[in-house]
Amino acid sequence: MEIRPILSALRHNLTGALLIATQVALTLAIISNSASVIRERLAVSQRDSGVDAESRILTQRPILFSQIDLANLIQTDLDALRAIPGVESVTVTNQVPMGRSGWSSTFATERVPTAPNQSAGLYFDGGRLLETFGLKLVEGRGFRDDEIVNIDPKVQNPPPTGVLLTRRLAEALFPGQSQFVGRVFYQGNTPDSEELRVIGVIERFTTPWAQTGPGNEYAVVFPARYLNPFNHYVVRAAPGAEAQVRKAMEEALEKNEPGRVSNGQYSIQEMRDRRYRGERALAWLLVSVTVFLLGVTASGIVGMASLWVNLRRKQIGVRRALGATRGDIVRYFLTENLIITSAGIAVGVLAAWGLNGVLMSELSVPRLPLDYLLSGVLLMLLLGVVAVLGPALRAAKLSPALATRSV
Amino acid sequence: MLGYYLQLGFRNLRRSPVLTALIILTLAVGVAASMSTLTVLYMMSGDPIPQKSSRLLTLKLDNYPLDFNDTDEKLPGILTWTDVRNLREDAKGLRRTGLYGISGIVYPNKEGVKNFFADGVAVDADFFAMMDAPFIAGGAWTAAEDRSEARVAVIAAPLAEKLFGKESAIGRNLRMDSEEFRVVGVLHDWKPTPKFYRMDGNSSAGSDADDIFIPLSTALAAHRDVSGNTSCYSNADPGFEGLMRSECIWLRYWVELGSEAERAEYRDYLSAYVQRQKQLGRLPRPDKSALYNVREWLQEIEVVDDDTRLQTWLAFGFLSVCLVNTIGLLLAKFTARTAEIGVRRALGATRSQIFLQYLSEAAALGLVGSIIGVAGAFGMLHLLAKQSPNLEQYARMDPTMLATTVLLSVLAAVIAGLLPTLRATQVVPALQLKSQ
Repeated sequence: MEIRPILSALRHNLTGALLIATQVALTLAIISNSASVIRERLAVSQRDSGVDAESRILTQRPILFSQIDLANLIQTDLDALRAIPGVESVTVTNQVPMGRSGWSSTFATERVPTAPNQSAGLYFDGGRLLETFGLKLVEGRGFRDDEIVNIDPKVQNPPPTGVLLTRRLAEALFPGQSQFVGRVFYQGNTPDSEELRVIGVIERFTTPWAQTGPGNEYAVVFPARYLNPFNHYVVRAAPGAEAQVRKAMEEALEKNEPGRVSNGQYSIQEMRDRRYRGERALAWLLVSVTVFLLGVTASGIVGMASLWVNLRRKQIGVRRALGATRGDIVRYFLTENLIITSAGIAVGVLAAWGLNGVLMSELSVPRLPLDYLLSGVLLMLLLGVVAVLGPALRAAKLSPALATRSV
Repeated sequence: MLGYYLQLGFRNLRRSPVLTALIILTLAVGVAASMSTLTVLYMMSGDPIPQKSSRLLTLKLDNYPLDFNDTDEKLPGILTWTDVRNLREDAKGLRRTGLYGISGIVYPNKEGVKNFFADGVAVDADFFAMMDAPFIAGGAWTAAEDRSEARVAVIAAPLAEKLFGKESAIGRNLRMDSEEFRVVGVLHDWKPTPKFYRMDGNSSAGSDADDIFIPLSTALAAHRDVSGNTSCYSNADPGFEGLMRSECIWLRYWVELGSEAERAEYRDYLSAYVQRQKQLGRLPRPDKSALYNVREWLQEIEVVDDDTRLQTWLAFGFLSVCLVNTIGLLLAKFTARTAEIGVRRALGATRSQIFLQYLSEAAALGLVGSIIGVAGAFGMLHLLAKQSPNLEQYARMDPTMLATTVLLSVLAAVIAGLLPTLRATQVVPALQLKSQ
């Protein structure tokens, strides 16, 4: 197919062609960057928390208001929860993964202020925490029931020194090592920091904040019940028993101390949904922006192509009369569009890189992966062809007789 | 003449209806996307208390231990009780308040209302005057009540209604946990956006309105637990008394100055205060104390987060594509009327008359697009608020933004119409007449 006549025809309709090319360029720049942000956000919201069956792990946080003998009250609550049919395991803890608020502390391997310290989530295992959350141990052992102690904040007896930690934290504290059980580290890096000893390593356990950075998998677990009124009860429901356990849990906790106020009952799955609501909202916003953009750009191409078909009715008639086939006419419009789109894409690739550069330096946006850019390029080419196909086919249907009318 | 052209413009909307619909839709979608995100950005970066934001100051002190090595991190905006107590006692500035978050179980003395969990803040009597918090009944407690650790409370109107219905809440008792508080004031629906006085960075704690305000002295005397961040970098003795004596940080402090000019003086006072504390063996690290007025504070804690900025950027990118698209569509719409323009020019219409007529038509399109766009923006804001509770307080359109939205879409349509209109004025009448 001869390109020259197309180019010379384009020169006459330069404004329209430039508008379409600009639109293609801007769209490509925006959607390829959006796609990369969408992927990043969705990936973050799907990270493994270490909890094996998030929808079956239920947590409730009743505020214990009769503040006498909390140790006994907590034990009574736990017994009542364990007695619920369909409950596989029960624990009490100070915070839950992705629960968005909780305790953290810093940990180091030396008691000197210059030693690097890692901030990590601080969990209390009130007994059977691993079993209830379904966490996997990769080394050592979990706590025995007789190791769990009560900590009264009014007296502040120090927590036991044998602890569990997550593999990621162990690797950060002891770089280059693979065996961690028996190793000593400290809560803090000052001379009076508490000495701790690793008795087990958990494969993965996310913090309540589930930060975006690697810190989301840094956690230390102490064998203790912290005697304040704000603990989380966690139960593991048998498959299929969630609904019935939910109701029974609510009732059991209400019965042990009538008039209790509870901060709601959530599964870990629901905690996840709440924690990542922002990430998902942004991802869906960007998805809709992308869809609308493609729609707008396609409508622009359709509109411009239709206009050109209308303006060139006579010429098309003449060409058809002179022997051009319908295929020739369709090919003409397709080629013309491909030229315009390609020009737009060339500029768009540069714009996408430029926009990505600005977004990276101004906002926390990841580098644009090459395959996203390439997919964007292919998508724009496809969009151009599909959009122009309608007007081009209509042009091909024009009768050669048009050439002979209205001269 | 302009009125007639506009009228003509509206009538011409019905010509080539598909094209018209496309133009209006493109404009409306672009306006809706950009204006809803811009509204969120505008509300976030808004001044919650414009009348005195430059006179309300909060501060940071560096009380980390000498050997603390996390020097890159920003200082948190919370202080020790020791510092807050000293600053209150020195009584510099016009008004001042210490502040920390509290929460508790409220026992309603009313049939059918269950016990519930309420959030509040412990503040000093000056707080309400400093923040211009509007009362619908009663008022703040007195300084004497502050000193005597009186069990008094100011509550928000929704809580008053929930507890006491239509009856006056003043003088009634509010039971929170094991304590009874006498209600002395009811605040009107007061929701500074953002809730600057107790926000810190990205925490969602700053989004809900506080329901209960009690005297700081009373809360401390009752050892009321802190609802909010407490950070300790050195060991504290057990219990609440231990916390009060410790170098743990957990309270905020705000001071209102008589005029902006007093800031330098206050700055000097703060430096002198840090020096005095150093002599007492506290605050061992170099003085990094800092003062922030409300606007500076909101910037410091980055109320406007990266995601919001990203959304706004992309939304305006989206709007620009919509504009380019509108230019193309208008070009198509006007080009189809070349013959008509030829006739009008031949009958004596000047270029500027054609220009005005076609630009009016673009403006008419913009006006219709703006109405749909505003509706779309409201819908988008509703969706944004539903998806993210943190955004809820910001996803509201005020009259300024509404006017901006309408103006923007008409302006967008007129700008988009410029090029096609110029093209229309260049129609050569003779050529058009010949071809007919």
